[in-house]
Amino acid sequence: MAYIPKTGRTNMHVLVVEDDAVLADGLSRALGGHAMQVQLVADGLQADQILQRAGTGAVDVVVLDIGLPGIDGFEVVRRLRARGATVPVLLLTARDAVEDRVRGLEQGADDYLVKPFASAELVARVRALARRNAARPAALSLGDLALDAATKRARVGEKVIELSVREWAVLEYLLQHASRVVSKQQIIDAILPWGEDLSLNAVEVYISRLRLKIADAGVTLRTIRGFGYMLELAA
Amino acid sequence: MMQLHSIRLRLLKWLIPPILLMNLGAAALAYALAPPALRDAVLRTLVLLEIVLALACVALIWFSVSNGLRPLSRLRAELNQREGDDLAPVDAAHVPYELEPVVSALNGLLAKVGEGAQARQDFLANVAHQLRTPLAGLKTQLEWLGARQAQADSAESVRLMLSATERMIRQTNQLLSLARAEPQHFEKARLEPLALDVLVAEAVQPLVDLASLKDIDIGFDLQPAIISGDRFLLRDLLDNLVDNAIRYTPAQGAVTVTVRPGLLMVEDNGPGIPPDKREQVFSRYVRLDDKVHGSGLGLAIVRDIAAVHGARLTLSQPAGGHGALFMVKFS
Repeated sequence: MAYIPKTGRTNMHVLVVEDDAVLADGLSRALGGHAMQVQLVADGLQADQILQRAGTGAVDVVVLDIGLPGIDGFEVVRRLRARGATVPVLLLTARDAVEDRVRGLEQGADDYLVKPFASAELVARVRALARRNAARPAALSLGDLALDAATKRARVGEKVIELSVREWAVLEYLLQHASRVVSKQQIIDAILPWGEDLSLNAVEVYISRLRLKIADAGVTLRTIRGFGYMLELAA
Repeated sequence: MMQLHSIRLRLLKWLIPPILLMNLGAAALAYALAPPALRDAVLRTLVLLEIVLALACVALIWFSVSNGLRPLSRLRAELNQREGDDLAPVDAAHVPYELEPVVSALNGLLAKVGEGAQARQDFLANVAHQLRTPLAGLKTQLEWLGARQAQADSAESVRLMLSATERMIRQTNQLLSLARAEPQHFEKARLEPLALDVLVAEAVQPLVDLASLKDIDIGFDLQPAIISGDRFLLRDLLDNLVDNAIRYTPAQGAVTVTVRPGLLMVEDNGPGIPPDKREQVFSRYVRLDDKVHGSGLGLAIVRDIAAVHGARLTLSQPAGGHGALFMVKFS
């Protein structure tokens, strides 16, 4: 459980607090496989001390079990928020009792995941939390498809593809939620933050245009019948 | 000797002979003391009187005992009316003094049975919760290994382990929902107004992931619907209905979840369930197809959850005439 010092701001730094050794190791492998730097801690008090010492921005996301030796996860979050720290916290719970979830969120946790969960789900949630807190949008990519938010440029492999403003917004949203189902309404809400009106049919038009433009990118833009879409790696 | 199980017959058995003997003695005395000229008339009158009195006596005893037993039959009717899981104590305020010890003994037994059921449910929930962390560890490790295993035979072995782990996880979750949906654990206070369409929309991701594994086209048709319910139990109900549909629908089939005001429907285009088997599928541990993996608990959980919501659960065939249509109608 060596602490890996950070080399730059490119990698996300995740503090994982979990006392079950097998699960902690699994979490570290799952997150580590997605270019995240993982620090493991098995004790609530120790986690509290590390978070106390860590400067702002030193930890990007905390993955926190509730049942811990020392102090429990609820108390770790409470102390963290009492110090005014805003680092996002993802709670892991073995109980799905309503009180546990509500209490965790009341103490200031940002999200929770009920054990056991899929590694992909964990990675997606951690990424979403980190993004919510990040100042600058990162470069997005899936398969051969890459979006650079800074230059507003989309590429398939080496080839630059031309996208309208709306198409760009739809694709950016889909990429931000890669391998996740997004509803048509979510897409509309995301690309029209100023409350303009757009029909569900218009979304279908953007999607079919995007499908043509990213046909060679090694990704599939699936339709979830009657609900929405999911952008994922081609099988 | 014949055993008499009826209180009425027992009473008659013990009361009639002494009364008869007393009457016969009195009659013999009257006969002996009567003047000889009147003896015939006295004898006739006495026999007649004896018959009438004996019949009246039997009727009186029968009537009074029946009357005395009425609280007992009320108690029987009350107990007969109860649902199998209703372990509330019997109200002792309206039973006669003589029945009080019986009712209090019965209540003692009911309480013990209730405690036993509670302990069993708590144990079940506790075990299920305890299993979750090791299962989470196992699953994460296997997923990591599966993503890296290049050799085909090792990859297949990892895939099998992962699928066994998924089955264990599913079983564990089902034990928990079963414990949660037990009617005696369920308080009506937990029902709250909630949007059924939003509840389904929140569950879309895991349902799509599950359907993708079997290459099943899952679709949704959601209209706004507000009902009174428990969101965690209803999520269990939805998960189990869709899981069941996916399980019994062949690859490349279709499953559709529909929400209409007061209505939740899950439809598939699989083989369907013959009308004479439709009642059976909701029983615990009944599986119609042995070739498909399953615990036989899923639809029993669905039935329990529908019951605590006072919802009507029906199974029929979709309009297309092919497959199964599960419908939950909320009142």
